[in-house]
This record gives sequence, C-alpha cells and structure tokens, in this order.
Amino acid sequence: MSVCVEIRQLYKTYTRRKWLLGATEKVPVLQDVSLSLWQNRVLGLVGESGCGKSTLCKVLLGIEEPTSGTVVVNGKNAVRVSREQRKGLCRDMQAVFQDPYASLDPRMTVRQLLSEPLDIHGLYKNKAERKKFLSELLSSVGLLEAYLDRYPHEFSGGQRQRICIARALALDPKILVADEPVSALDVSVQAQILNLFQDIKRERDLTMLFVTHDFAVARFLCDDIAVMYRGRIVESAPSEQLFARPLHPYTKSLLAAVPQVGKPLSKSVSADPGVHTGSVTGCAFAPRCPYATAACRQVIPILEQAAPEHACACIHVTKENV
Amino acid sequence: MKDPFVLQVNDLHIHFTADGHSVPVVRGLSYTLATGRVLAVVGESGSGKTVHALSLLGLLPPAAHVEKGEILYKGKNLLTMPENQLRTIRGRKISMIFQDPSASLNPVLTIGEQLIETLRAHRPLPPKEARKEAVQLLEQVGITQADKRLDEYPFQFSGGMCQRVMIAMALALSPDILIADEPTTALDVTIQAQIIQLIKQLQGKNGMAVIFITHNLALASQVADEVLVMYGGLCMEQAPVDELFNHPKHPYTRGLLASLVSVDAERPDRLPAIGGTPPVAGECGCGCPFAPRCSYAEAKCSHQLPPLLAQVNHRVRCWPEELP
Repeated sequence: MSVCVEIRQLYKTYTRRKWLLGATEKVPVLQDVSLSLWQNRVLGLVGESGCGKSTLCKVLLGIEEPTSGTVVVNGKNAVRVSREQRKGLCRDMQAVFQDPYASLDPRMTVRQLLSEPLDIHGLYKNKAERKKFLSELLSSVGLLEAYLDRYPHEFSGGQRQRICIARALALDPKILVADEPVSALDVSVQAQILNLFQDIKRERDLTMLFVTHDFAVARFLCDDIAVMYRGRIVESAPSEQLFARPLHPYTKSLLAAVPQVGKPLSKSVSADPGVHTGSVTGCAFAPRCPYATAACRQVIPILEQAAPEHACACIHVTKENV
Repeated sequence: MKDPFVLQVNDLHIHFTADGHSVPVVRGLSYTLATGRVLAVVGESGSGKTVHALSLLGLLPPAAHVEKGEILYKGKNLLTMPENQLRTIRGRKISMIFQDPSASLNPVLTIGEQLIETLRAHRPLPPKEARKEAVQLLEQVGITQADKRLDEYPFQFSGGMCQRVMIAMALALSPDILIADEPTTALDVTIQAQIIQLIKQLQGKNGMAVIFITHNLALASQVADEVLVMYGGLCMEQAPVDELFNHPKHPYTRGLLASLVSVDAERPDRLPAIGGTPPVAGECGCGCPFAPRCSYAEAKCSHQLPPLLAQVNHRVRCWPEELP
C-alpha cells in the first residue's frame, strides 16, 4: 500500500477583526494536523461543525494556503505552487462539495458543466469521442444522456449531486475530496448517493477523503477514520477498529450519542462548555471531558500510537493502558 | 368534562400561490394531540411538515394560505380567530423553536434584552423582576453564570447554547404546546442529545405537549410517543412509536427504515435505497405521491389516491392490501 496524499504538521490561522476598526485577533483553525491518504482507501474525516474539516479540504485542494506545514500529493508538493503546477494537481485530485445547488453554475447546461474540465485540460477534442465520453460519464453516475442539454434548475438535489460527481470524475482523477456530499440531500436520496460513492470507489480505484459529521455514514463508506476536534486530529484508526474500540473520550461520547432506532436516548453526554471560540490551555476537549484531570488543562496531548494502526491524542490513553 | 386534546387539526389544506397558480403543499392533514404527549412529524424537505407547523401559529408566509380545514386549540378554531386574540395564544400558549438558533436571535441585542422582551410582552412585569425571571429561565436550561451571561450577545454563545436560549424563550410563559422544528439539525450529536433530553425533561415537568418536526427517524424513535410520517403533503402513516418502528406498514416508511445506516449492526455492502426522487409540490397528480418510487405499486396507485385507513391506532395510506 502506498501513500497518495501526505499532510504533515499543517497549521491554518484566520485573522479576524473583533470590532469594525479594532484590533485583529488570530483564530487557529487547523493545528498540527498530520494525515495520510492511502491508495485505494477512503479516509473519513469526522467532527462537529466548525472543527476545521472543510478548511482542511480547502487547503488540500489549494483553495486556501496553509499558514505552515506541507501537503504532498503523489510525491509532488501541493503548497504554494504555480498555476501550471496547480493545473497538474487538479488532474489527479477533484472535489465534490456539500451543496449541489450552489456548486453548479445555473447558466450552464450539463454538457457545458461537464465539458469545462475537459476543455481546460484539452481532452477528448474529437467531437464524436467527446459525445461518447459524456454519455458514458453520465450513465456511470446513473443519469441519462438526454439530460445533457438541460440546466441545473431542472434537476432535484440528488440528481444535481450526481452531476457534481460526474464533473469531478470527468478528468478521471486518482483522488476525490468529498466535503459532506450527502448532508444537504433528502433522507431517502442519501442512501442512493452513498451507494454511488461506493460504486465509483470500486470501479475507479479511487482514493477518497470523505468529510462528514455523521458516524453512520462514515462507517458505511470509509476504510479509515480520523476524528477531529477544534482543529486537531484526536483519534485515527481503521474504521472497524474505531467502532469496535474507540479510545478518545470525545469519540466515545460522539458514538454514544448517535441516535438509533431501538436504542434509548443517550444519557451520559459531556456538557457543552458554551463558548465557541476563546483559547483553552491544554486539551481542547478537557472542559467537556468526564475524565479530565488537572494535567489535561496544562499539556496539549499529542497524537500518538496507542495500539497498532490506532492513534489517539489523550494523555490518559497510552500504549500501556490500552 | 375537560377536553383531553389540547390540539386538534382537521383536514388541513395549505396552498402556495406562485405565478397565479395555486399549489397544494399540505393536502388534508388531520391529527389530535393530547396534553403531555410528544408527536413527531417526520418527512423530507418539501413534504409540508414545516409549513403545517407555521400555520398552527398563524405565521404562514404571504404566498401561502389555508385553503380549508380547522385548527382547534382547546376547542377554539385558530384559523378564524381575530389577530388580537391569536396574539395572546401565539408565543404564550403555543410557542415554537426553529431550526437555526443563531438565525433566530437578534445579533445586536443581548440575550437578556431578548428574553426580557418576551416576558414583558405577555405579562405586566417590572424590569427588575423580569430580569430575575430571565436568570431563572437560563438556569433552568442549564446555562451557568446566568446573571452574567444575560448581558452577552448571541455571537458569544455556541450553537448549542443559542438553542438553549431559544428553548428558554419558548418556555418562558409555560406554553401548552411547544413546536420544535428540527431543533437540533444544526448541532452536533452530543449537543443534540443534551437538547433533546432538556426538552423531554421540561416537558415532563410542565406537562406540555410537543410537536417535534424532524427528518431523522432514529431521533423520532427516541423522542416521540407517536409518529406521523408525511410525504408529498400527505400523512402516509401514523402510529404510536413502538408500533410504527416494530410494524411499519407503508412502503415509504419501510424504505426509510431500511436505508438507515447503523453504527452497531453489520456493515452492509450496499444500502437498500429507495429509488427515484421525492415529488415536487403540485406535481403529485391524482394518485399516491409515492407510487413512482414504490416497489409494491399497482396500476390503481398512480391514478387514485388511497384513503388513510385506521386499524386501531395505526393509520396507513396505501392501496395494496396484502403487503408482505
């Protein structure tokens, strides 16, 4: 197994002004994030809203520049690269976003939407070839060729997300970054799109970063899972292992709180500290953690191997006590 | 004798007017809600669940109107009630929590100003006492240092905390009915569990009835006493919670339950998904709105709307009589 994407010690800080003309303050969004995407595997990135999942995707895709840290895609540096280099990276790495209503230009037909990446990269210039390719592409995401000359507003949310997936697949990328691709869809349509992701992953040997806040979705699709809290990865492990034996208190409380049919409402949940921003010294989860001790409020725990292939950032979880 | 039902909805039809066309979004909804019970209304976007809730408060957007039907609050029809009388009920007797807590609070007023405004709008309270009561309300929903936090602004609160403030506000006047429209969709699961527990706890204490609107079946199963499943503006199935989840009858309910991903059970290779897409309001035709996506559909289903038939306390709207 080889590594496709290697993210090392990534930091991203946004600057914002507290008041209209006041002093600026720095908001750390990603802190010391290191992740590896293994070839032909799906990495699920799970965390609550505002924890930095989408920012990580943006940095990976080159939409945002990191404050520091490195991103290596297929052996090539992907941070602060030229336009030409970025174009090359885009051939290998494409994205599907959360809101299929906002991600398609309403004035372009499906044909134009799907052709744009091909034109940019100069692929399938022959008319007949292009036509054949587009109809195959559409059928691979479960849409009809007849839809090619329609506009996005003529489609439902699920169909639009299929168009977004088709556009991402148009360049036959090796890596797909999917940022909450099913959370804006109707419940009865979510399962269809999840099945589609499962199919394309197998048919195309894709490597995927799949961002979600829903553990059940992550479990269905992902081979590996990384759990994020306030800008840091707190736990990462192969999917089955993480569900069978979560180590970090945050992961445990999340898993316990997933609502399920036939299970009573979760009782033991750590309290919400109430404030969204503001600096916490030590472990960011400590104010909500039922196991927190004085030491937790002083040192920032490092993500360390606690079991084979299983890393956890908690000072109370060590190799010895696992 | 005291009326056991605090709310009775009879054959409610709501239409939207767009480009001169009248489009039905709720097509004959009927149910009763007893004191102290939780009714979950489950449905996808566009199924009419939120629009129906807004009509209970007389808050329908200008493009919508109630075509026919009755909404009886303790026997009085809210739809024919003059606005000044309705105002004594809305917020005081029936209150609502909306989906997005940060969008429901005014960002330029402190939490305290907003809570106190609500209290004083309905009751003649001197400012000092209103403030005292506001502090108690915040404490009741589990906000610590309430006195200090009353002077903070919504942006200083997290999403979960804002939703607690909304709950405090909705409960400020001990309403008989609380309508919670997807109150936890914008929150993460641990906070969701806390908010739901809080609603349940306060509901038990005050004996209020709750209409819980959600698209999350699993959550509905944990919160509700009774579940009503909506699709295309119609009630497709309604039953007590255990009955619905143990013996779902309608193909749509069954499909939804089957497509739920679980974190405990064996990981499936593929999800049993319902094919097709949900109907667009006004394009449902005269048959069952679920027929185009239903694997049990018969010829009759696509041109004749099945009636909502009741067996004891389980109501189902479906033609094929012998569903496997």
